[in-house]
Amino acid sequence: MKKSLLLSSVSGALAGLLMLGNVATSADLKIGIMVPTTGSEATYGKDMENAINLAAAEINKAGGVLGQKIVTMTGDAACDPQQATSAASKLVSADVTAVVGGYCSGATMPTMKIYGDANIPMVIPAANSTKLIDINQGNAFQINSTGFDQVKTAVGLFKAKGIKKLAIVHQGDGYSEDLAKLTREKWTAMGNEVVAYEVVNKGEQDQSALVTRVKSKAPDAVFWTAYYADGAMVIKQLRQGGYRNLIAVGDGSNSPKLLEIAGKAAEGIYCFSNPTVEYLPAAKSFHTNYKATYKQEPDAYAALSYDGMKLMADAITRAGSTDKAAIIKALAATKEFTGIAGPISFTDKNTLARSNFVILVAKDGKWLLNK
Amino acid sequence: MSIQDILLQQLANGLILGSFYALVALGYTMVYGIIKLLNFAHGDLYMLGSFVGFIILSFLSDYIGSGWAGILCTMVLSMIVVGFLGVLIQRIAYVPMLSAPRLSILITALAVSMVLYNTVMAFTDGQYLAFKTDLGFEGVELGNVFVTYTQLTLVGASISLMVVLQLFVHKTLYGKAMRAIAIDQDACRLMGINVNKIIALTFFIGTSLAAAAGIMAGTYYGSIHFFMGFVIGLKAFTAAVIGGIGSIPGAMLGGLLLGLLESFGTQIPFIGTEWKDVFSFGILILLLVFKPTGILGKTEIERM
Repeated sequence: MKKSLLLSSVSGALAGLLMLGNVATSADLKIGIMVPTTGSEATYGKDMENAINLAAAEINKAGGVLGQKIVTMTGDAACDPQQATSAASKLVSADVTAVVGGYCSGATMPTMKIYGDANIPMVIPAANSTKLIDINQGNAFQINSTGFDQVKTAVGLFKAKGIKKLAIVHQGDGYSEDLAKLTREKWTAMGNEVVAYEVVNKGEQDQSALVTRVKSKAPDAVFWTAYYADGAMVIKQLRQGGYRNLIAVGDGSNSPKLLEIAGKAAEGIYCFSNPTVEYLPAAKSFHTNYKATYKQEPDAYAALSYDGMKLMADAITRAGSTDKAAIIKALAATKEFTGIAGPISFTDKNTLARSNFVILVAKDGKWLLNK
Repeated sequence: MSIQDILLQQLANGLILGSFYALVALGYTMVYGIIKLLNFAHGDLYMLGSFVGFIILSFLSDYIGSGWAGILCTMVLSMIVVGFLGVLIQRIAYVPMLSAPRLSILITALAVSMVLYNTVMAFTDGQYLAFKTDLGFEGVELGNVFVTYTQLTLVGASISLMVVLQLFVHKTLYGKAMRAIAIDQDACRLMGINVNKIIALTFFIGTSLAAAAGIMAGTYYGSIHFFMGFVIGLKAFTAAVIGGIGSIPGAMLGGLLLGLLESFGTQIPFIGTEWKDVFSFGILILLLVFKPTGILGKTEIERM
């Protein structure tokens, strides 16, 4: 009896899986989403997936694209180059027309070759390492300001705060190393000093050795260029270790979770951020819809991800067909597309023509716009 | 800071880190000592301890807050809960395998590890959780060396747990039975010792020590995550091997040594903090080649 019950439930689940695979009919427009839905960056990934799906639902409600309904498929990049590669191959073999996604630069890089070789149009809402520019085969479009823009914002803040000696800490992955390197170059080129340039391992809990090393160089500011989960622990331990000067974090650490984990230690730290929903007047209705649909606040890249899907749909409409080369051409020709995070136009390198970085400061456990 | 101050601070860092490693290593070594099993799920029990603690603390904090009183109650409660989970795992996964070849039970331990962290991953969506406490950053400055009261208390707690364990093993009848089983199980049965009960007790103690370490880590680092047990499991294993696996004082010594090695290792010129793990696992390889029995280990140990 028990066995037959098990058997029937297993076969039922299998049948369900098969049916799921067949939901997309040939008349639908398949668009792939590639974000980390597991692992340390899953918070951001899920948030991006939600925003993209919300955009797709809105487009479908208004009649779809070229009369076709959008069906999304999510590949889990897990912020890991290996997993991202297999997720990308899976999306390509599922024959998606286009891809919206890319959060961790390190994990996005190897997938760009896969999508590039298949000539699949891709809009990257979050990943913004400058390394992405060099390996772009022309099919990918970055709608987030790149590392160059962030570096300009960062050194601007350090200068305004009268910083002389800077310490930079990264995690050795594509995104954080790139940002750290560019900041060091720019900072020393301006005639200032980088007293410590450190790398820490991902997922390492104990940072006391790092704290002692950094503290012994007596920097005026510490710049953490990597992600929030480990960043929160570094900040907490820096403060526990008695470091009292300025701390700034890059856009990868722009999460309420960082403030939650670091607690009191995060008070007064600075963050360079892409335009998040609460600072965007144009995103009001998106904010309400998102909250109503997912019962949670949109995170850092929700607005850009939403724009990414809307931009892709717009480009397909302008191309007038689902031909991949035509869509890429239409994307490149985008002129002042009005997204909720700001207008989108592209440079000849497929990056955003205008920077959209802002500076935030942590106050009472919340990120506020720095005045 | 002068170089002297830096080295002193690294000494303090190493001792703090080492006392965590030692606490986790104890469970490894106790289980190995008694049934010759390398319990690779041990790191995941440490992780489980911090998650159980997280749940208990979020209940308790409404009544007694999340200061030291709350953390102490949480620690005791989750040591008990996770200790029983450890016994349950032993009953389900390990007892049926005791007479099987040693490799089978080792693989079972790996499977238990995967089941544990994947279950927690499924429940938490793979997210980091903030382990919220009311502890501050106040501390004492000894010369130029800075340690917070939190760090001092945690080291004190782990040292007292180790002392209690040492007393238990050497001064009580149960401890005597444990030591006897480590020498010869069959002889113990003939002497009327309830071997299964003592093995279960060993699992209970080892697992609850890991849970205690997990809660200390949550308190100290402020965040917990389903994969946090992996690296510490490997490090604790290294610590146990350095000290001589199967030996309780060896695990304590190995843990402290490993913590110190890692802290001082990062201070070598031209080598950055990212080389920390290379030190610990490099030492493991060297030790396995040149002195596989560890510092305090016995010579007849047979290794997998």
